[in-house]
Amino acid sequence: MPLFDGRVLANTEIASDYYQMDFSWPTDVRAPSPGQFLTVRVSRTAVPLLRRPFGISGFIPAESHPADPPEAIASMIYWRRGPATALLAGLEPGDTLGVMGPLGVGFPAPEPFSVPILIAGGVGVGPILFLANTLAAAGYAPLLLLGARTASSMPRVNAHHHVQVRRSTDDGSLGFRGTAIDLLEQTIGVVSGRLEIFCCGPEAMLRAAHECAVRHGLPAWVAMEQTMGCGVGACMACAVRVNRPERYARVCTEGPVFRSTEIAWE
Amino acid sequence: MGVDLSVAIGGRTLENLVGVASGTYGYGSEYEEHLDLTGIGALYTKAVTMHPRPGNDVPRIVETPAGLLNSIGLANVGRERFVEEKLPGFAALPCAVIANVAADFPEEYAEVTAYLEAHDPNGALWGYEINVSCPNVKAGGVALGAVPRQVELTARLVREATDRPIIVKLTPNVTDIAEIGRAAEAGGADAVSCINTVVGMIIDVEARRPVLPAGTGGLSGPAILPIGVAATYRVSRAVSIPVIGMGGIMSAQDAIQYLLAGASAVQVGTANFVDPRIAPGIRDGIVAYAQRHNLASVSDFHSLLG
Repeated sequence: MPLFDGRVLANTEIASDYYQMDFSWPTDVRAPSPGQFLTVRVSRTAVPLLRRPFGISGFIPAESHPADPPEAIASMIYWRRGPATALLAGLEPGDTLGVMGPLGVGFPAPEPFSVPILIAGGVGVGPILFLANTLAAAGYAPLLLLGARTASSMPRVNAHHHVQVRRSTDDGSLGFRGTAIDLLEQTIGVVSGRLEIFCCGPEAMLRAAHECAVRHGLPAWVAMEQTMGCGVGACMACAVRVNRPERYARVCTEGPVFRSTEIAWE
Repeated sequence: MGVDLSVAIGGRTLENLVGVASGTYGYGSEYEEHLDLTGIGALYTKAVTMHPRPGNDVPRIVETPAGLLNSIGLANVGRERFVEEKLPGFAALPCAVIANVAADFPEEYAEVTAYLEAHDPNGALWGYEINVSCPNVKAGGVALGAVPRQVELTARLVREATDRPIIVKLTPNVTDIAEIGRAAEAGGADAVSCINTVVGMIIDVEARRPVLPAGTGGLSGPAILPIGVAATYRVSRAVSIPVIGMGGIMSAQDAIQYLLAGASAVQVGTANFVDPRIAPGIRDGIVAYAQRHNLASVSDFHSLLG
């Protein structure tokens, strides 16, 4: 759980109210893996108070780009929806970002030779994009399904050329008309091979992805979200109901990624 | 000039009066993996109960203006797994470890304490903090900590179970917290800590229901600082045992308010979520203030308030 001050490198609106922030990541802090998250200290005042958790949407190791002194670059995609994220949206290149991370357990590697189907809605696009690009670089040919309400809320993302991106909008203004889950159903019907599902988005989408996976007998992994206190497993706040005797697991340390069958869907 | 930030409680000494509050630092191991805990005086553990508790329905926390409202439900592994899994790690921590004990009725507090005593022959636990804010099942769910004779009985029964320091953690959700403090002292407590969280509620107006499924929760954070300072002021004038102040401490200035109000030690809680390295900085800030004002030890703070 290293704490460090990152330096904002870019803070760009990538869709209506969706932003991508790139920031420096020290070389002595462990590199994140897809599905892991970080928490950000958004203010030095009592309002807003708590750190905010964000998924990591990309990572460029120090050895992959020139910088003096050497440093890595991490990215996160966030939705400006309240006072805390409005403060983040106001940061400019050169500003300091108080970061704690990488935290939590990320996505597992898919089975060799399987076809990963990645599905994201809302800010879930961040961790899923990181996973897609990581898998593509590792030799997989992932399918990336991005859902949004309408064209203007579809984030612009940089995907590896081995990632096949398909987009859906609820109103049909861009790509497939329907939800990302409708697109998932259609995709499962036409793609052959051993499929594995990875999902990050609103809980209703996670649940629908889980149910879809169960219907087709496919394994699915979901990244859960819950209001968080400490972020390191100490406060027991970010619980999620699981099918285990202890009833709850902590999103921050036992997750955020869980096998979808582990979750006790309400 | 050297500043002595030690505090004596029940015949033992904490070398550093700044502790981290129960429920905000787990069992130490969660943070210790990554942070140096040497600047922390005492770690008050996550509550330990007779049996494991899964905790309350979610969401369990919600941020409020300058505060945090929680309803965790004492989620913990229970006394047996506490002894098996958590206790062995305490000896290696550089700070005193104080077990926070929660229960449903007075005898149960004593039973949990006696169990921990029996399974800690090497003295990994420095002492006990008794959380009397839990609803008393046998008394119809009224918080045990709201009834002076129940608090006194609890302190007395726990006293019989251990010779180590006992700190009774007072709830502010009472008519007269000073009276509760006196009851704890009468029962044999070595110190009192105050305050536990303040009962609060936040309502989602669109859903027209409380945000926390439990309805109410416990409010912590900067919003409750003045409540904690006032309680500390009143309790410290009502008892002759040390008072450990807490509630909304985010800085050395906040902690110094507690010391001036009469506290002999402090606990940092919610601030750990904002910055887990904050406690050592608060200690350093207290030292700097003491040097600036020629204060040699914590007792010197107590006579300063105008």
